[in-house]
Formats: sequence, structure tokens, C-alpha cells
Amino acid sequence: MSTISSRPLLQRQLMSMRCSNRFTTTAITNTPSIIRPIALLNTSRHFPSSRRHLSFGQQTPNFQWQSSRALEAWVEKPARPVSLRQLIFFGGRHLDERRLLDSANYVRTELPTRIAHRIRDMQKLPYVVVTNPHISYVYQLYCEAFDSFRKIKEIHNQDDNDKFCAVLKQALHRHLTVIPKLVMGVLECRELMSPEQLDKFMNTLLRSRISRRVIAEQHLALTDTFHSPFHFPDSSPEHPNAHPDFVGEVFLRCNAKEVVEYCGRLTQKLARKAYGDNAPVPEIIIEGHLDTIFPYIPSHLEYMIGELLRNSIQATIERHYNPANPEPQQVPPIHILICHAPQHIIFRVSDQGGGIQNSELENIWSFSKGSKRDTQLQNLAMIPALAATMQELETSGFGHSVTRKDGHESSLTRLTSRPPNLKLGIGLPMSRVYAEYWAGKLEIHSLEGYGTDAFLQISKLGNKSEQLTLDGL
Amino acid sequence: MTRLLHQLPRELHLLRPFRPLPLRRLYTTTTTTTTNTTLPPPLAAAPIVPSPLSPKTTDAITHLSSLPHRRPTLSDLVRFGPPPLTTPQLLASARLTRELIPRRLARRILALRNLPYIIVTNPHINSIFQNYVHSFEALSSLPSGDYPRNLDEESEFAQVLGGIVRTHNNTIPILAKGFQECGSQFMRAEEITAFLERHLRARIGTRLLAEQHLALHAATFEAGSPAELTPGVNPDHFIGIIDTRLSPTTILRRSEAFVAEICELRYGDRPRLEIDGEVEGRCAYIPMHMEYIFTELLKNSFRASIESALAQQRMNAGLGIVGRAAELEIPVVKATIALAEGGKWITIRIRDRGGGISPSDLREVWNYSFTTFNQDTGEQEDFNELVNGALGGSSIAGLGYGLPLSRAYAEYFGGSMELQSAFGWGTDVYLKLKGLVEPEGGYERQI
Repeated sequence: MSTISSRPLLQRQLMSMRCSNRFTTTAITNTPSIIRPIALLNTSRHFPSSRRHLSFGQQTPNFQWQSSRALEAWVEKPARPVSLRQLIFFGGRHLDERRLLDSANYVRTELPTRIAHRIRDMQKLPYVVVTNPHISYVYQLYCEAFDSFRKIKEIHNQDDNDKFCAVLKQALHRHLTVIPKLVMGVLECRELMSPEQLDKFMNTLLRSRISRRVIAEQHLALTDTFHSPFHFPDSSPEHPNAHPDFVGEVFLRCNAKEVVEYCGRLTQKLARKAYGDNAPVPEIIIEGHLDTIFPYIPSHLEYMIGELLRNSIQATIERHYNPANPEPQQVPPIHILICHAPQHIIFRVSDQGGGIQNSELENIWSFSKGSKRDTQLQNLAMIPALAATMQELETSGFGHSVTRKDGHESSLTRLTSRPPNLKLGIGLPMSRVYAEYWAGKLEIHSLEGYGTDAFLQISKLGNKSEQLTLDGL
Repeated sequence: MTRLLHQLPRELHLLRPFRPLPLRRLYTTTTTTTTNTTLPPPLAAAPIVPSPLSPKTTDAITHLSSLPHRRPTLSDLVRFGPPPLTTPQLLASARLTRELIPRRLARRILALRNLPYIIVTNPHINSIFQNYVHSFEALSSLPSGDYPRNLDEESEFAQVLGGIVRTHNNTIPILAKGFQECGSQFMRAEEITAFLERHLRARIGTRLLAEQHLALHAATFEAGSPAELTPGVNPDHFIGIIDTRLSPTTILRRSEAFVAEICELRYGDRPRLEIDGEVEGRCAYIPMHMEYIFTELLKNSFRASIESALAQQRMNAGLGIVGRAAELEIPVVKATIALAEGGKWITIRIRDRGGGISPSDLREVWNYSFTTFNQDTGEQEDFNELVNGALGGSSIAGLGYGLPLSRAYAEYFGGSMELQSAFGWGTDVYLKLKGLVEPEGGYERQI
């Protein structure tokens, strides 16, 4: 236990408040002994479903009641969304110190604004939901992040920027485990709120999370570029640049076919690992406009295509492969269409994996509805490290198809290369959040008894701004 | 005369259609020195003078439209068993039909008479309105109570019903024409679409009930006479208008043949259709509905495929490419059939490479569009007209009713239709139909 003086100021204020707060005192003294706070790594297996939300014990709500004056100031500010084109423009050849500091200050004010909105959302959730240990952990994390970001003063020079970047890196790293924790929390709370409300909450939170990480990672990448020995601001076009095709995290020349091929190889390899070397893995056939090139953030694209391919491969193998039959078997291939429309890039993934049952079709986009959620929760709980950190998932060093050499890890790296039998049940809704973040869309059509078609549509020009709220901006 | 006068609405001036002065006035050679105190000469066609419905009819309409009614399901249609029906069953079917149809007609009359006055006085729409009223009155004039009580009365009923079905054969194009003439001035596009959606969907149900009974009647008497009370064997797999061993492949090929012929007529060439998936599968559905939907979808796919091939050919010619590469290469249209849960869900995907639909058009494609008729858009409408003309009678020429109407048919029994376009490549249509599942023990007679 850390000493009291080392806790953040806010917590100390709260603890002193707590002593005078009748409600919390009685809550603590009346807590039955069997549900005293237990270590976070315990699983929920031993408790009946009705007590699911109490599985880890009643967290002492010492940090729940936050001093809200600081929060109010930031909640009132609107978020200023950015477009892919703006992100690109900010970097590139024109990156000089002035621009870098502008970027730093934009991030410096955007992050606390966006986190404040999400904290406010969480504060409005039912008490019983936010006291779920996973969700309260995330809430705590957000409060601390907000607290540290709002205090950063205006950045005037590169030293300030370096300090700022250090804080950013640390926060990004600490927040890597937010997604699985949130998912577990939502699953545990699925009887406490309507599924529509839970889904809306998750979608908003995830969307905001993507947006914060994008602008943070972009700024870090720009700083790296600026410090790189090969970067010369306002240089002539002939001068070699270390990463000419990258502007921060944005890869200007994403080649659709290469991305699909890369994801295809990755998912096929993972499938062989999961089902054994004898299992037939479906071939991936690509057709369409094969020379499509467009600017995008590669990790996002690879995650989405990876999820769709993963689903298709798994469905195909499970439908057509008979492990009892020793003969070598063939399974039907997966067809991918790349279409270069005037304003969009469209990926269509068609498989013959048997389709999705009509009764399940409405649940595929939800984080909590559906019949398989108990299994999903068990899966998540059986890998305690997944709940705590993402270290356990180092299956192999796949990295990205196109990365900067100094690229840092993103929360998507681990998810993209997780083993295929780790069915988390969030692939589709997550991919949809990523797609819709840049005003794209993801749709699924099922031919029950035959296979499934997935349509991923990406806004090509990057003129569309981030979609920060569910009803646009 | 006086009776007529006082019954005329106050907005008398609106009775006169807006049209230019008759020619006689314009070219009159008489001098205008004499004061023109005479009334203008009668118009070329007498305006519609709407007469109100008789009080008896009005009461009946009010009463019947308030009775409960629900959408008939496929199971409802087969509850009397497979033909040939026994006499009690035939009479039961007739009685139920006689009971249900007037309610549905009453609701339609209600909806029509609530439309703006100026619209219902349009000759086309008015004729449809009169049709509904006459049909309603024809049914109301049949004896009430336990009618029909015997086979003679049942035959009489079948005749009346048959007449009604025939009368209403061409409702859709006539309604469409009427709305096209005057709708947009007095009603918003959404209101017209909403009205047409409700009306056309209700029409599907009413015709379904009528045609099912007529088909059962015909099949029963074709077998000679109603079967004796001893249970018989179902001679073939039709139960009225439902085919319990329907092969989607057969219907696809039938639609394909029809549309392809028109293609050849119009363009000199036609695309091929490949069918995969559950090619040999069978289900229980209404072949008429399925064929209508397939024809519409294949019509769109074939036309798009040819048009894009022609465009490609023109481009090649412009680039100076000659020889084999300049030949017309029409991309294949692919249909996939999937059956699930023993025929409960029939999913058909029709995939073409006709260039797709632009995002702006995609928004409009489900509207009952009534502004494209007579437009000089050339090829598209020609093709539609040819197809619909060949269908005989109900020409929905170039009115853009095909897709929304097909979707109405698909959704009637709980299915769906979705369009997915990859603009610049092609379009996929996902058609999901909810079929009839054979109950345990077969399609037995249930009374």
C-alpha cells in the first residue's frame, strides 16, 4: 500500500471527505466479510450469476466522489474533431517547430476535454454498474489521467514538449488494458442495465478512446519525426526523408491489396496454430481494383480486416472440416473484393462458412446481448493476465505490415495477433467502431446455410472529420 | 337539379380541371361588340361530379373497418388442407374469405377517401376508388350470416370473387398514373410514398386471400368434385397458390429466360446467369411472388451488366482497341441459394458486376418514384417498358415501382430485401424469404 502522501491530491481530499461522509462509513462497516475487497486477479467463477457484479467484492468507493469543479470547466468545452487530411497536413515536409508545438498544445487541451466528457458519462451510470471492479478500475484510470493532463501548462519549447511526450507515453501504456476490462465489466453488468444503454455507453467510450489515442500517437510520431536525424523542415522534395510515406501514424500509401494479403497470411497462420497443421485453411482470393492506394492508419485497417478474415476462416473451417477424417480435405475459399469508388474504398469479404443464424443476427453488434456471453466471460476470466496486462499475448512478432522502424506498440497490436481460439466476442462491434470513427461503415449480410458477406466501407479522401459522437457531430 | 346543387361542395371552382381554354373560344370569329353574357361553352369532358356513398354503405364501411384484421400468414392459407377439399372445408374457406375481404376493402376505402379531395377527383384515382366501392357493395349485397351454405352458393361466391380480382388487376399502374399527374402538387413525396406503401401492402394480402380461395376452388372442382369425407391423398404439391415443393432454381431460370429474351430484343445480347449454393433445394412458397421478385432483380442486374459492358466497349473503341479485345464481354450474373431451418428461411443473393449504384441514387431507390414517367432518359425506360409490356397488362413502365414493390412482397411474410452496392464494381442484392414449414403430420386437413 502506498503511503497516503504519495496519492494524488484529489484522492487525499476525498479520503478526508470520506471520513465525514456518513454513507460511505456505514457502507464500509456493514460490508459482510465474505465480500471484503479481494485482489483484482480473482475470477468470478465461484459466485452465482445474480451476484456477478459483486464478484470481486464491494470496492470501497473512496475515489468515486470527485471534486467536480475542475471537471465542470472541461466538460463544458466542446471537443474539436480533426480530419485525416488535417492530420496529414500537420506533419510531412512542413513540420517545423512552430507546427510541432501547435500540435502539442492541441493535444494538451483536447485530451482532458475528451476524457472529461467520458468521465461525466460514467458518473451518470447507475451506481451499481460503476462499482463493478473492472469498470471502477477504468473510471479510476480516467480520473487520474484527466487530473494529470489538465495540469500541464502551455508548451512553449521543445523541452516542454519532451516532458509532455513522456507523460503521453506513460498514459498510453497504462491504458492498454482498458478494452478487456471494460468488456468484462459490461458482461458482468449485463443484467443491470438495458443492452441498448450498455452498447451505447461502450460505443461512445470506445470511439472517444480511439480518438484520444489517434491524436496522442500522432503527436508522438510527429515528435519522433522531428527529432529524427533525417528530418529537415521545408526541405526540397529531392531530399531523402526517413519515412517519406508516413505522416505520423498515417500511412499515405496504404495498398489495399497488400494489407489484405498481409492480414490473410497472418490469420491463416494463426488458424493453423489453432486447428492443427492438418487442418485445411481456406484460400484467400482477391479480386477487384487491385491497385488501390489511399491514406489511412494501418493499424486500424489491419485490425478490421483481420477481424473479418478471422471470423470467415474460423467459420469456414468449422463448417467444412471433419477432424475425424484422416484424408486431406478441401474447404471453400474466401473471396475478397476491393472496390475503388469515387469517395470510398470498399472491401467485401465473402465466405462459405454457413452464415449466421437468423436469431443471432441482431446480437452480433452488441457487447452484451446474445447467448454466448457466459462462455465469453469465462474465456476472459481464465486468462488473468489479459485482465491485468496484455503481456501474455506475445504469440509472435508479427508487428505490422508497414510500420515505421521506431513504431511503438499500439493496443491493437496485441489484439490483432491474439490466438484465434481466444473468442472475445467483440471483434465485430469493435471493428464497426473503428470503421465509423472515420465516417465509414461496416455491414454484415448472412446467407444462412451458405455463408456470410461483410462490407467494409472506408472514406477515401480523409476529408471527413472524426465522428466523436454516435449521432455525428 | 336543386338536390345536386346543394350537395356540391363550396369549392365549386376547384371542380374545373386546370386546363387551357377550349379551342372554340380562342378562334371565335364573332365580334366582341355584343356583351358576352353567355356562359362559356361546355368543356370537352365533363368534370367528375363525385357522388357520396349511400348511408348504408358508409355505415358498413365504418363498422367493418373497425373490426380486427391481421396479416394472413402462409400457415393461414393452408389450414384447410390440400385440395381437393371436402365440401365442409371448401365452404369453410369460402366463409372465411367472405368474412375477411370486406374488412380489408373497407379500410382501403377509408384510406382513399381521406386523401385530399383534389387527388381523388383525378379520373384515374377516382376510377380506382369507384372500383373499391363497387367491389365492397358487391360483397355486401351477398347474404349475411352463414353464407355460403352449399356448393351452389359457393360457386356464386367464387364468381363474384373472381370478378373482383379481375377488376382490380391494374390498380397499380392506374394509381401511379394518377399520382404522377396530380400528386406532387398537393401532397408531399413522403406522404405519397407512405400511402402507397400501406395501400400496396394491404393489396397484396387481400389478393392473396382471394386468389388462394379461388385456386382451392378450381383445384377441387378440377378433380371432379369435392372429395368425400374420407381423407384423400394430395394429388400434387400445390395447396392453392402455394407450391410445397418449390425449387428456387426453377423460378430463377424461368425469370432469367423471360428477362434474357427482352435483353436480346433490346441489346442483341444477354448476360449469363450462374446459380450456386443449394441448387437442388426445395421450399414451400408462392411461386407467383417469387417470380415477380426475381424478374425485377434480374431485370436490374441484366440491364446494369449489359450497360456497363457496352460502356466498356465504347471506351475500348475510343482508345482504338480492335479485334477480340473489343468484343462485348458481358459479366456473368451470379445467384446463390441458401436454405435454412428446413425451408423456413430462403436466402437468395444476386451478385452482378454492373458498376454499382451511386450513393445518391441509393437513397432514392426505395421510393415509389412518380416523376420519371415520360422523361427523356432513353434506354433505361425503354427496357423497363419492354419488360413490363411483355408481362402483359400491368405496365409499370419506368415508374420505378419495381424495387419497393418487390421488397413489399418479400417483407409480407416476414422476409427482407437489402441492397449493397460497391460503386464502380457491382451490386449485391440479399433477398430473404420466410417460407412455409410443413407442420408435423403433414399439411393435414384441420377441420
